[in-house]
Amino acid sequence: MTVSVGRSVVRQDADPKVRGQAVFGVDFELSGSLHAVLVRSPIASGRIRSVETSSAAAVPGVRLVATAADAPRILSGLALADQPLFAGDVVRYEGEPIAAVVADTVTIARAAAARVVVDIEPLPVVASLSAAVAPGAPLVHADWSTYRPSPGLPDWPRHDNVVGEMRFDSGGVDDVFATADIVIEDVYTADRQYQAYLEPKSATAVYEAGRYTIHAAHQYHFNLRDRTAAALGILPSRVRVIGHHMGGGFGAKLDVGLEPYAALLARLAGAPVKMVNDRVEDLLSCNSRENAIIRVRSGVTRNGRILAREFLVDMDAGAYAGDTVFLTSIPLFVAEGPYSVDRTRVVARALYTNTAPTGAFRGVSGAYLYFALERHTDNLANALGMDRRDFRIRNAIDAGHTMLNGQVLEDSDLLRSAFDAIDEVAPWETLGRGPNRGVGIAATVWLTNPMPGAVTLRLEPDGSLGVVTGAAEIGTGAVALGVRQVAAEELGIDPDLVVLTMPDTDAHAYDGGAQGSRTTHIVGRAVQHAAAGLRERIFGQAAKLLDSGADELEITDGRVRMVSDPQRSVTLGQIAGAAMFDGGPIISSGSYATPAPKHDPDAATGLLFSTFPTPTYHVHVAEVEVDPVTGSVTVLRYLVAQEVGRAINPAGVMGQIQGGVTQGLGYALWETLQIGDDGRYRQRSLEAYKLPIALDVPRVEAILLEHPADAGPYGAKGVAEPPIVPVAAAIANAVADATGGSIVRLPITPDDVLNALESSKE
Amino acid sequence: MSAVTFTVNGRIVTLDADGADTLLTVLRDRLGLTGTKEGCAEGECGACTVLVDGVPVDSCILNVHAVAGSDVLTIEGLATSDGRLSPIQQAFVDNFSVQCGFCTPGFLMTLTALIADTPTPEEVTIRSALSGNLCRCTGYSTIVDAVMAATGQTERS
Repeated sequence: MTVSVGRSVVRQDADPKVRGQAVFGVDFELSGSLHAVLVRSPIASGRIRSVETSSAAAVPGVRLVATAADAPRILSGLALADQPLFAGDVVRYEGEPIAAVVADTVTIARAAAARVVVDIEPLPVVASLSAAVAPGAPLVHADWSTYRPSPGLPDWPRHDNVVGEMRFDSGGVDDVFATADIVIEDVYTADRQYQAYLEPKSATAVYEAGRYTIHAAHQYHFNLRDRTAAALGILPSRVRVIGHHMGGGFGAKLDVGLEPYAALLARLAGAPVKMVNDRVEDLLSCNSRENAIIRVRSGVTRNGRILAREFLVDMDAGAYAGDTVFLTSIPLFVAEGPYSVDRTRVVARALYTNTAPTGAFRGVSGAYLYFALERHTDNLANALGMDRRDFRIRNAIDAGHTMLNGQVLEDSDLLRSAFDAIDEVAPWETLGRGPNRGVGIAATVWLTNPMPGAVTLRLEPDGSLGVVTGAAEIGTGAVALGVRQVAAEELGIDPDLVVLTMPDTDAHAYDGGAQGSRTTHIVGRAVQHAAAGLRERIFGQAAKLLDSGADELEITDGRVRMVSDPQRSVTLGQIAGAAMFDGGPIISSGSYATPAPKHDPDAATGLLFSTFPTPTYHVHVAEVEVDPVTGSVTVLRYLVAQEVGRAINPAGVMGQIQGGVTQGLGYALWETLQIGDDGRYRQRSLEAYKLPIALDVPRVEAILLEHPADAGPYGAKGVAEPPIVPVAAAIANAVADATGGSIVRLPITPDDVLNALESSKE
Repeated sequence: MSAVTFTVNGRIVTLDADGADTLLTVLRDRLGLTGTKEGCAEGECGACTVLVDGVPVDSCILNVHAVAGSDVLTIEGLATSDGRLSPIQQAFVDNFSVQCGFCTPGFLMTLTALIADTPTPEEVTIRSALSGNLCRCTGYSTIVDAVMAATGQTERS
């Protein structure tokens, strides 16, 4: 029996959060702080003729105005070193930083920033994916061939505006298309999606004794340290990052934001500098989920076997490579989906445009790749006259499926149990009946990020357990519930006795950040490794106190007792106290990173990450009703069957599913950052950017499929990212079913719905 | 600059403010009450919600002179003086209604007003009342759960 794992214990950080006591990044302030704001480019593409700062510098209360001339002449980037801190010669997107004003107050800084005069000669704008690869397209980066990958990465195929290109070809695809019974080709598009975390990006930095200290609300403190150092041309050990509570991130706070600017300005000003984005600049400059075009072609037999597939994806990286160049690897793992396909060709490109750089958003490119794949899967089934669910189950992968990278999915038959689980709650044939109603289904395989993590456990004389880790609590509960409950379980103590730290890159070992659902899985494993060492010392000390052998003892309910004589026991606190002067404090450290599954790293060219570790299996079903007059879509029911391995905290997992599905509904139906011909966004505030509100979303009906595997603490795999991945697919399929028409783009607008209804009448 | 006097969480405050000072900036920057958050500064997200004479308002777009003589309640004033959480605060803790927590103060203020007005609100009433509060983490269901629990309409989980 567990004392902690599998129980919906509440989170400790909820108390300070409901009291308004939790200090978020925007709340943190060092005494004597100055305030800085950025001067950003008002246009998407141009050559800087001059930057006139003297009238801004003359405003009372202004300490300094910095430009590219004050920053190191360095290019850096997450994957490719292609980005300067400040634009010096050319601007490549609206919102690109050109200068910064440091002043006594934010109000003064903003007023002075408005007096910085930037003279920019407009240049042609590459505003779309098609424009980026058109013959004779202007180059977003004229010097692209001189750029080098960030340290540690081999270079990959790239040219002109093509900043990343991944190619896979099993061979024989065209032969199948020439001879298959049925060949179907579809083209889909998806707009950008803004992460829209409620806390805007911020940073506070101070420069002391040759080192920078950055106070951050960030998902990935060690990346922030390393990326800030790279941007400033210094060693990572010259930067310390201290984490505070963060008001959401969803991927947007994995790379650097304002932090390198705050650091540079703090050194120049000789005082702490605080920076906070206003909402408009946050939206305009955010590394949103990229827009994309997806072309899918399949050849199938009349009895429903998928013989060949071509999957061609163009992703918009924006003006700098950012994270998106990495994401060209994802289509390799989605091209087949969770279905068997005999032969496959995949080409995925990341393209430079004169738009804000894109990046990670929960589910990354999977959210639109699965939309395209599963819309196409519906079309295949319909063309064959087969039931859409039956077609999927018929083609669903079985245990031992080999992915295109050569990786074998040992447990992939778990997908079938997800189909069954939903059908038990909501039989497929009963859903989507009635006028203007429809049902959609989508299945996915998703990964758990393998990045390393570590922890030090400290047993204290008061019986508490310190869990010292650089892992970031983004809000999901991955640390506040997952790591904490695993630690409590390992020591057999009440989870309330666990004390968690906030990230500090000076004090903690490396952590791979709050991304890809990794934290509970990875850091939980590290906790288990650390706990083994901790128990050894506990038993050794207890054996002395109880005058017994260490192997005659067990831990239960905060005590160590003799198995043969449970009355003879000593508390964990007494053990920690006794150890203090007999060997010293009881601590133990552990580390973990998911070993790369066996695979062929050369299966594809330009493959920047080549495995899909710790996979999980998912089926979503949506029932919708469309309004034939307004074109609006109402989600009547939403069902999720999610394979989780083991739910460390079931209520916490359900919260991730409800929240992830809600973001997916926003993506499917409302949220968009459209790009005009001038390269500027059309939605420029939270008023124009339509986020789901409480009235818009149903209560998700979720089934957790527990299948404790040997991987993971108590079997727990990643749970927080997958719930968004199949949502746009399930909703689009439901809307297509309800209208009888075609749905080919995200978000699905009322006009799309009305057009689909109209086309179905023809 | 001119003087303005109002009450915050039962304490009388008099300060000089100019025409550009919002209630939010005064609360956060002058009074140190940083529990109230700025999410958008345009009255869209509701993170800055406080109660003015019992009515929820977006403090980011309200000039501080508009609350002269009024009674302002912020998140810091919800718990009892001995630190006990209000029923809706406790229900947020118990029902997993808090994830990142940045929107939480605004939701709690809106819901405090709702419950004062409608002691046993139906689900659709709760969701309607929350139309001006954005949460990006939870998908809202657990927040509805918290209201149902705090108003005695369900067993506390």
